[in-house]
Amino acid sequence: MNSSATFQKKWEPYLWILPSCLLMLIFVVFPIGIVFRLAFSKISRAGVVGSFSGLQNFADAVSAPVFPHVMLNTLIWVVSVVGLSTLIGFTAAMVLNQPFRGRKIARSIMVFPWAASLVIQASVWNYIIKMEYGNLNNILLNLGMIQDAVNWRSSYQIEFVWECAIGIIVTIPFVTFTILSGLQSIDPSYYEAATVDGASFWQKLFNITLPLVRPSLTVSTVLNIIYVFNSFPIIYTITKGAPANKTDTMVTYLYMLAFYDQKKGPATALSVIGFVILCVVSGAYMVLTMRKEDSL
Amino acid sequence: MKKLLTLALALVMMLSLVAFASAEDVTLDVIIAQYGPSTQDWFLGTGMNGTSFVKKFEEANPGIKLNLEVVSWNDLYTVVSTRISNNNAPDILNIDVFADYANEGLLLPVSDYCPEELYKDFFPSFIQESVIDGTVWAVPDLASARALYYNVDLLKEAGIEEVPTTWAELEDASQAIIDAFNGEVYPWGIDMTTDEGQAAFAYYTWGNNGGFVNDKGEWILNSDENVKAIEYAIGLVKSGFTNPNPATQTRYDLQDMFGAKKLAMVIAPNSLPTYIKDKGYTDVNLATASIPHNEGASSSSVGVMDRIMAFRKDSADQASRNEAIGKFLTFFYDPENYVGWVSMEGFLPAVNSAVGALVAADPSFEAWLNVLGSAKFYPTTKAEWNDVKQGVIAVEQEALTGGDVKTLLDNLQAKIAGK
Repeated sequence: MNSSATFQKKWEPYLWILPSCLLMLIFVVFPIGIVFRLAFSKISRAGVVGSFSGLQNFADAVSAPVFPHVMLNTLIWVVSVVGLSTLIGFTAAMVLNQPFRGRKIARSIMVFPWAASLVIQASVWNYIIKMEYGNLNNILLNLGMIQDAVNWRSSYQIEFVWECAIGIIVTIPFVTFTILSGLQSIDPSYYEAATVDGASFWQKLFNITLPLVRPSLTVSTVLNIIYVFNSFPIIYTITKGAPANKTDTMVTYLYMLAFYDQKKGPATALSVIGFVILCVVSGAYMVLTMRKEDSL
Repeated sequence: MKKLLTLALALVMMLSLVAFASAEDVTLDVIIAQYGPSTQDWFLGTGMNGTSFVKKFEEANPGIKLNLEVVSWNDLYTVVSTRISNNNAPDILNIDVFADYANEGLLLPVSDYCPEELYKDFFPSFIQESVIDGTVWAVPDLASARALYYNVDLLKEAGIEEVPTTWAELEDASQAIIDAFNGEVYPWGIDMTTDEGQAAFAYYTWGNNGGFVNDKGEWILNSDENVKAIEYAIGLVKSGFTNPNPATQTRYDLQDMFGAKKLAMVIAPNSLPTYIKDKGYTDVNLATASIPHNEGASSSSVGVMDRIMAFRKDSADQASRNEAIGKFLTFFYDPENYVGWVSMEGFLPAVNSAVGALVAADPSFEAWLNVLGSAKFYPTTKAEWNDVKQGVIAVEQEALTGGDVKTLLDNLQAKIAGK
């Protein structure tokens, strides 16, 4: 009786997490395994999986002439979207953490964009910046601020800037809310004490807010790096990487490679490379920030 | 946990049902391309005079079950290649490409399953487009041909008496339209997107006696004629005669602009009138003409054809499977069913037996059938076609951002022919 009770106590937690472990196994671990296997196999154009081909797929993927440009785009995309959305989201969280009339409404307005699917948001933006019947041109024309319709997408560089800007806008709510939850857990007495001692706004920001909000900041940044790196809908909806892969990031590029160019081998190799990059980057970021936390 | 168990139980029950059904009957996995908003309803819902194709077929052919799926063109390639990777290819597939599948030995020759009488019904020139090494690997399901559509009123307002037939006339007409409407109307539509940029390549190179291959079927992507043709097309964009963003504006964007009277001329398939009507544009005064060509060259229409093919399953009941596939095709191409489908989708037929009924219903079909007779097709039987298709689109897009057409085409030719 006693032993069976200990047995139950010992194994019960595992039983409870078994369903989610199974789900992870089936929908996360297993597909990752398949992708790794495909990355090292020869895959025919029609999709037949052939024999082991070593690093051939990786060599093919990396030696493509557009690869360096796509990687540069990916870097710009991740750094600008994660960096700016964190900066703006942090500021917005600070504002929303202040007591003011209508704060609840402001908070819910902030979360609205997050509730809509990314594809829908990207499609809406695609309409907004359309030259022929886009809302932006219509508004500016009606206000008399411009005389003729402006082509908001006159070059691929500008199109990519739009994509980054839209990426930033749709990411802000997530950052704001993660950081806001961190801000709310800070004991107000710290600020009171600091104010009594005559600390300035910036001193409070750097010596109280930032150190205490760091765990939420770490979580939001790591998750953000992963989400943004893997983000597909914005770029696919707006340019599909055109012209000639010049606005592609790694994820849209490997999709086009797999399903338009029928080169699944190099495409799976690229997704393995992406997976490794993400593991390294987010791992390094977590280790670095945790270390700083310990030394506090 | 209870939910999971229920789910598992339901799955097991479904699987055993499938197993039970296949013990007696032949079940054919069929993938059909979604051509329009009514495709799904016609095959699986009530769109076929209150019943569905599947229901009607299964009633007429006891012992054969159809596991039919309608898949959108956006997902079709993904679905098919994923299923092939998982050793789960469909029995019957409706798609445009076939060369990769045939070259890798995945397809059954048409002679294995297609009844003689039906085979004779297909337009012979269409069948020729599915031959590799003397074997027919697929049958055509429908075709479309492209022609120049123009807005009669807009051209008249710009003072253009006759619709342009040559490249020089096209430039003059474009300038006249720009002048007449202060740039509010785009004279000419160009689609150089990954969606269908290969069509633009065909329109201009074929209009300059160039093209993808020569008479011997060898790639001639960087011929002088082709370089000139693409430079001409890019020149139209640079002169401001076209829609502003050809690398991202697809044929459908262009058709929308044409419907909204923002675009005066566009090369489009015979389904354009139906398309713009469905979109709610009702008062467009449109007419068709042949695609403009260079001085000294001749105009040729671009024909696009899709296909139906059968995959090899290597199962013990292959003979009864082949018979079932034959019955499926016979039923599908039966004028009683096929005519309704082709006219619903707004395309041109691939079998002789459908022509009479279609022309009777819509006399404009006859003109289009003539266009189709003179149309050229993409060299889809060649193994490199998919690379060529992506390659010419990349060339066009690079050229739009300032690349040199000659260098780009030289590189592409070296990459393709050097294989």
